Amino acid sequence: MRRFSFFNASALTLGFAFLYLPIVLLIIFSFNESRLVTVWGGFSTKWYSAVFANKGFMDAAWVTVRVGLVSATLATILGTMAALVLVRAGRFPGKTLFSGMVYAPLVMPEVITGLSLLLLFVSLDFDRGFWTVILAHVTFSMCYSAVVISSRLVTFDMSLEEAAMDLGASRMATFFQITVPIILPSIVSAWLLSFTLSLDDLVIASFTSGPGATTLPMKIYSQVRLGVTPEINALSTILVVLVSTGVIAASLLTKRREVQRRREERAAVAGG
Amino acid sequence: MNGSPNSGSGCNFAPWSDPKEKPLIRFDAVTKKFGDFVAIDNLNLKIYEREFFALLGPSGCGKTTLMRMLAGFEQPTMGSIMMRQQHLTDIPPHRRPVNMMFQSYALFPHMSVEQNIAFGLKQEKRPKAEIKDRVEEMIALVQLQAFAKRKPHQLSGGQRQRVALARSLAKKPKLLLLDEPLGALDRKLREQTQFELMTIQEKLGTTFVIVTHDQEEAMTVASRIALMDQGKLVQVSTPREIYETPNSRYVADFLGDVNIIGGHILGPDDKEDDIVQLAWHEDYAPLRIRLPQPVSFPEKGTERWVAVRPEKVRITKEYPTDTHNILKGKVLDIAYTGNISTYHVETEDGQIIKSQEANLEHLHRRAITWDDEVYVHWRAGGCVLLER
Ligand SMILES: Nc1ncnc2c1ncn2[C@@H]1O[C@H](COP(=O)(O)OP(=O)(O)OP(=O)(O)O)[C@@H](O)[C@H]1O
Ligand SMILES: [Mg+2]
Repeated sequence: MRRFSFFNASALTLGFAFLYLPIVLLIIFSFNESRLVTVWGGFSTKWYSAVFANKGFMDAAWVTVRVGLVSATLATILGTMAALVLVRAGRFPGKTLFSGMVYAPLVMPEVITGLSLLLLFVSLDFDRGFWTVILAHVTFSMCYSAVVISSRLVTFDMSLEEAAMDLGASRMATFFQITVPIILPSIVSAWLLSFTLSLDDLVIASFTSGPGATTLPMKIYSQVRLGVTPEINALSTILVVLVSTGVIAASLLTKRREVQRRREERAAVAGG
Repeated sequence: MNGSPNSGSGCNFAPWSDPKEKPLIRFDAVTKKFGDFVAIDNLNLKIYEREFFALLGPSGCGKTTLMRMLAGFEQPTMGSIMMRQQHLTDIPPHRRPVNMMFQSYALFPHMSVEQNIAFGLKQEKRPKAEIKDRVEEMIALVQLQAFAKRKPHQLSGGQRQRVALARSLAKKPKLLLLDEPLGALDRKLREQTQFELMTIQEKLGTTFVIVTHDQEEAMTVASRIALMDQGKLVQVSTPREIYETPNSRYVADFLGDVNIIGGHILGPDDKEDDIVQLAWHEDYAPLRIRLPQPVSFPEKGTERWVAVRPEKVRITKEYPTDTHNILKGKVLDIAYTGNISTYHVETEDGQIIKSQEANLEHLHRRAITWDDEVYVHWRAGGCVLLER
């Protein structure tokens, strides 16, 4: 075990302060009594009530949640399929290209993704709105779910599937009765990840959205340009809580799966 | 270590020597390549119903590949595999009347013991009550009643192995493939399970093909043993035959301990006409080997080898009488393994001959010890002549 020195402690504190101070400030000021954002006037939750009473905010929230649910589900299904091909298909012509192309949107600047999607929708003469945002979100979040699921599939013991087929299960039955239940934790964490990605996306949604499909981040951004209000702080706090819950749940699932697998492996070795 | 050909199906069980008997499985000129690598090389093999067929061979010789072709996870590159009148090659794994017990057990981690065993039956959409009865029967067979509701990770290695066995038996397959099924068990449990396997086989009449690294295990359970090397079958015989009359130095050396001496054929013995003489060293008398019936003498001068098992080599301080082959030497080493002692005797020209004696008396009374001048000797019927 390494020593926890003074240097380490201060580096850690500084790092965390740098990362989280702005968010902590935001959360603190969301409970501010005063209308002035930077002056503390006592504790209050009135801005939260104001948020829930604001129809514009509530509509945007509803759009965001629907976009998140649908796009996360689609992205997870497509991501699972891509991961299966990447991990299972062995070598086929163009495999390197395919895997590169699946991962490319991870590092693509969002502005480029958004812009190119906008161009596509315009040239196809799509009406921009709810569904175009969903399509755009699926496009980038399926890469993340493909990564999450393929990292699980790499360690999947193929003999389990062979055993199932050996016992009379067709390929289809094997997939749904053996593969899916076993990789379910990573499917769920891929879904949660896609959902949170969709929840906090601003850039791509701005490019691909249309009238009547304003998402929450878009709403906040447009409000902020008129000046920061405590209401915005409260709304942002809610978003922060939602997103971090999603991310923490996803990583806990991954962690638990890891622990479980290690326990099983240890048991197997101990038995052997 | 002595081979006892006790297949579960009685002493007279030998369908392979009956020309009228039709095999259950037939490999015809089967070759399997992975890229350029030849894993199975032009292999011909017949396996009969109710056999307990053991596959033996060094690591990487293709045993698992052979099994996987039977189960349907690999397709032969050339040749055909028949089950009765049917080409197995055309049948996908989930339609074959073949079940495999995986070396890793491959138990489904998200299912309980019961669910694991029921899995195969559920795929056939059998009635619920029937599945339940069959699962209970299998659980009783492998004595896991107390563990039926547990998940695989809550079981010990031996218990898991029995679940895997029950699962592969549940569908009453015609052919059961066992890939190193007992590798994870300790010696006691392994022996117990070997007998369980033989009992199960007797009860169900299933045909077993078993891969094992443990030759003693193969000797105990198998009706026939196939020894493989680099994708080829070297010898397929009953445990007794493969141990007593190996067809090559490779087989003799692989199964058990053996002394091998090379030489050239001299000609028949002048007293007994089924004994051949082998010249092996200019300073020594030729070795004499009794040939199996019907006798066919190899040509004079051809290179041959004689193989003799250490337990058939006697060791004495006095010059022995009434024996065929006598070598004089000095005790180099004695390996004590409890029930037997193995003497390593060096002849004057440096050949090491191993001789095994049962430890009939306590050790401090041992008559022969290090550096003693001794004679090692064996009878002409105790050794075999090998062509390669
Ligand atoms: N999918 C594969 N691709 C390429 N080579 C393979 C493949 N499967 C097996 N081989 C090769 O074929 C040879 C035989 O393998 P196999 O698994 O049948 O050996 P084995 O006799 O079962 O060995 P062991 O006793 O170690 O289990 C090995 O050299 C192995 O490397
Ligand atoms: Mg193997």
